[in-house]
Amino acid sequence: MDVFTLAIWVGTLIFLGISLAKDKVKTKQALKMALGMGKAMVISILSIIFAIGFILTLLPPTEIAAFLSGQSDMLATVGGALLGTITLVPAFIAFPLVGTLVNAGVSVVPSVAFLTTLTMVGVVTFPLEKKAFGVKFTAIRNGLSFLFAIAIALVMGVVI
Amino acid sequence: MTIVKKIKENLFVVIVVLAYIIMFIAKPEMGIESVKSSGYYIKEMLMIMPVIFVLTALLDMWVPKEKIMQYLGKDAKAKGVFLSFVVGSISAGPVYAAFPMCIMLHKKGASIRNIVIILSSWAVIKVPMLINEVKFLGPKFMLIRWVLTVIAIIIFSWITAKIIKDEDLPGEVLTKTGLHINRDACMGCSLCVKNYPELFEMENKKALVKSYEALDMDKLEKVIKACPVKSISYNEGMNMQYPFLPDSADCEK
Repeated sequence: MDVFTLAIWVGTLIFLGISLAKDKVKTKQALKMALGMGKAMVISILSIIFAIGFILTLLPPTEIAAFLSGQSDMLATVGGALLGTITLVPAFIAFPLVGTLVNAGVSVVPSVAFLTTLTMVGVVTFPLEKKAFGVKFTAIRNGLSFLFAIAIALVMGVVI
Repeated sequence: MTIVKKIKENLFVVIVVLAYIIMFIAKPEMGIESVKSSGYYIKEMLMIMPVIFVLTALLDMWVPKEKIMQYLGKDAKAKGVFLSFVVGSISAGPVYAAFPMCIMLHKKGASIRNIVIILSSWAVIKVPMLINEVKFLGPKFMLIRWVLTVIAIIIFSWITAKIIKDEDLPGEVLTKTGLHINRDACMGCSLCVKNYPELFEMENKKALVKSYEALDMDKLEKVIKACPVKSISYNEGMNMQYPFLPDSADCEK
């Protein structure tokens, strides 16, 4: 567990303690609500997780890296951004991977495009985000994130 | 009919299950591999989701709507933008962990723009990620990407807020604001018209609300109490049901 997760746990537990001391009924109600939220989301979250596992097996990150390093910059950027949208890789795999890419001589642009869409745009999280915020919001947020991810990558290519 | 509807509602779940069934039939070893790599994400979820749910519920319970509106609402301007970046950056866990939190904040008056900022910064520039980035790609790389990403989020959150209105987000209206008469229950005693003729009138032997601008609350209260079948109701705010937030009746009072 990293420091931040730990900090959120500690903070929430303290908050819970204060809440309990102040108003038992309210706290009980809050916990009930938390449980209800969990119940409402658990199936969706599990299907996201298993979808990620599935995609990672079909498209292992190392293979994505190999693919990206063999392409021209233009193709690699669009490809990287697209591959980034369908996969969701934890930071501790993504960063070393992109690190090796850059060190191996792959340009910065496709690497950054991949890195940014990897986390900001999500095809697998789309169904859940849609349920939470509606189709219009989800489509526009993800669409704009994708375009801006490419823009960020292009600018970084110039700056670095 | 209902089965079709259920499948439609959970289409994604059905697709994932089918994908796994096909994979296990075609290539069992790949299926096992998929389940194994899902294991890490399950662990990640179990570490963060319970605490996010409890935190969201506690914040919903204790932080008054006015405060959220003041700090994250439409009129919070630059302060709201800054705070949203802070909230997103000190977060932990995958982006879907931000969903219940953001629904709750939106319900309490946070603006669409700030919701987009929280979601996006939660996804790409949270501090734990930045630390990892420095380790593998160097501080210069991290800093430049961070600055560019922040600028990008500021721009596209503004665009999103221009396109998406609050009504576009799901939220089922349970009871509406204002004055209502249950015309099925009204038995046409016309007590309300006698007590408050400026507001009520009779139509086809049932009471009807006239168009009004200002309400005399004392008078209205008397009318509501006087109605023998209790068919007049007045709500000050809208009572909404939001996705994933169970019995989100406001508990502030």
